[in-house]
Amino acid sequence: MTKPYFEPDIMRISWGPQHPMSGQTRILLDVDGEKVYRIIADLGFTHRGIEKILENRTFLKGIIPMERLVMADTPNIGLGYVSAIEEALGIEVPERAHWIRSLMCEMARINSHLYAFGLQAESTGYFPAVFLWTTVDRAVLLELFEELTGARWSFNFFLPGGVHADLPDGFEDKVIEGVHYLRRRFQDYWVAMVENAIFEMRCDDVAILKPEDAIRLGATGPVLRGSDVAMDVRRDEPYAAYGDLDFEVITESACDSMARTKVRFREIGQSLSMMEQIANEIPSGPFRTRVPLFVRAKAGEVLSRVESARGELGVHLFTDGGMNPYRVKINSPTLRNMFVFERMAELDEILVADIPVVINSIDPWYLDSDR
Amino acid sequence: MTEEAFVEAFQATHPDLVVSAEVLNPKRVSVVVKREGFLHVSRSLRDDFGFTHPVSGGAVDYPKENRMQMIYYLMNPESKFMLTFRVDLPRDDLTLPTLTQVWEAMSFHEREAHEMFGIEFVDHPNMIPLLLPPDWRGGYPLRKDFKGEGIVE
Repeated sequence: MTKPYFEPDIMRISWGPQHPMSGQTRILLDVDGEKVYRIIADLGFTHRGIEKILENRTFLKGIIPMERLVMADTPNIGLGYVSAIEEALGIEVPERAHWIRSLMCEMARINSHLYAFGLQAESTGYFPAVFLWTTVDRAVLLELFEELTGARWSFNFFLPGGVHADLPDGFEDKVIEGVHYLRRRFQDYWVAMVENAIFEMRCDDVAILKPEDAIRLGATGPVLRGSDVAMDVRRDEPYAAYGDLDFEVITESACDSMARTKVRFREIGQSLSMMEQIANEIPSGPFRTRVPLFVRAKAGEVLSRVESARGELGVHLFTDGGMNPYRVKINSPTLRNMFVFERMAELDEILVADIPVVINSIDPWYLDSDR
Repeated sequence: MTEEAFVEAFQATHPDLVVSAEVLNPKRVSVVVKREGFLHVSRSLRDDFGFTHPVSGGAVDYPKENRMQMIYYLMNPESKFMLTFRVDLPRDDLTLPTLTQVWEAMSFHEREAHEMFGIEFVDHPNMIPLLLPPDWRGGYPLRKDFKGEGIVE
């Protein structure tokens, strides 16, 4: 912002959207030799107008397009919308449904973090095998999802009033089995990646984001917690079963790309422990309250917040007494973190070769930022 | 600071500029201010009340009442409740001073509100479309009277 970009030595590079590491966005880099002066994110390549689509559908039908925000993390995103509907319509949710929801949210968080971790390994250029490892390990979770919901990616399993179906017989044991398997793999990853000298060289002290900058620039999720700010919606405003579960907010004090990766990594361990707690302690009872398919919400507004894998997702639902939402404002976590990414060249010295590492430490999901 | 204490202190600090300030739910506070003192109140929210963590921003269109409401979502890292900071604009005069001079991170959200609703943010440093294509001439998609015009050459 402060550097004029027409200085003769500065060259503008367009990076993406076809680059394998950039995702569905274009990043403009103003570089002088190897040093990056300015980062400009050109978003909008996957804009579908989900906020407008939701205005034209009934509350129930809106769950399906809503989950298209983040495919690796559909339960968390769906829960944000479903809990907003429940609050607007005044629907009670049975206790067991809350626990099933938390179970699925944590499984999806692991799924999403493993994907992010594989990409981070890939972006350092030395560990293509790790991306394949994480893909194989995610299959363990996908099979659990398939048995529970019948789908592997987009479940539409949360409905206003509860969840679509109860846990199948013996599902708790399979969850425990999966947790034990993933714990063993967790150790492998830690040794092969986090303590690896090459990975440390690529990630340590790259793109430092100080706590005050993270707060000022509106970072969220693992990016904020990687800057040593303990903010987590699950702790601050417990929803679903998080009030009854034993967990802590994970932070790292190094504030660099490595810290952000480590936060995600340790959150996987935390989510595994939560999955185990849920499988052992899930209360019995009904899993759903029946809600009529077509309902009218009285005029008003609801702001629901959930902690998705990428950070805080807010759904601000306005109702006017009709069968559709009047307006849905989605506060997407990736959009906030992309702004932080744009400012990182001003906060710390970044080289061109670091850009894939830095952007994957943000863990962007452009379908989420573009909506 | 609890939600009620904040609402009381805020109303006492800016008695002339506040249209309404209320606690909607636990952890949700809504503040509507007049457009005249908008920038002054924003600075006071950041400096006096500790709302240093910007979350998001967006608008809602009410064509029947001939107004739009611009909403900024703010957070105080210590008290951890969500503040929705709102200002009403008449639909025929959609200008606001930009809040990027108070919270830099509102840049993306104001760019989005500009292309989706047509709100003009005076002195915004980089007012280019965020999500829509650069050659988009089809109107403002999230307005209620948008009928899907698309690109008009």
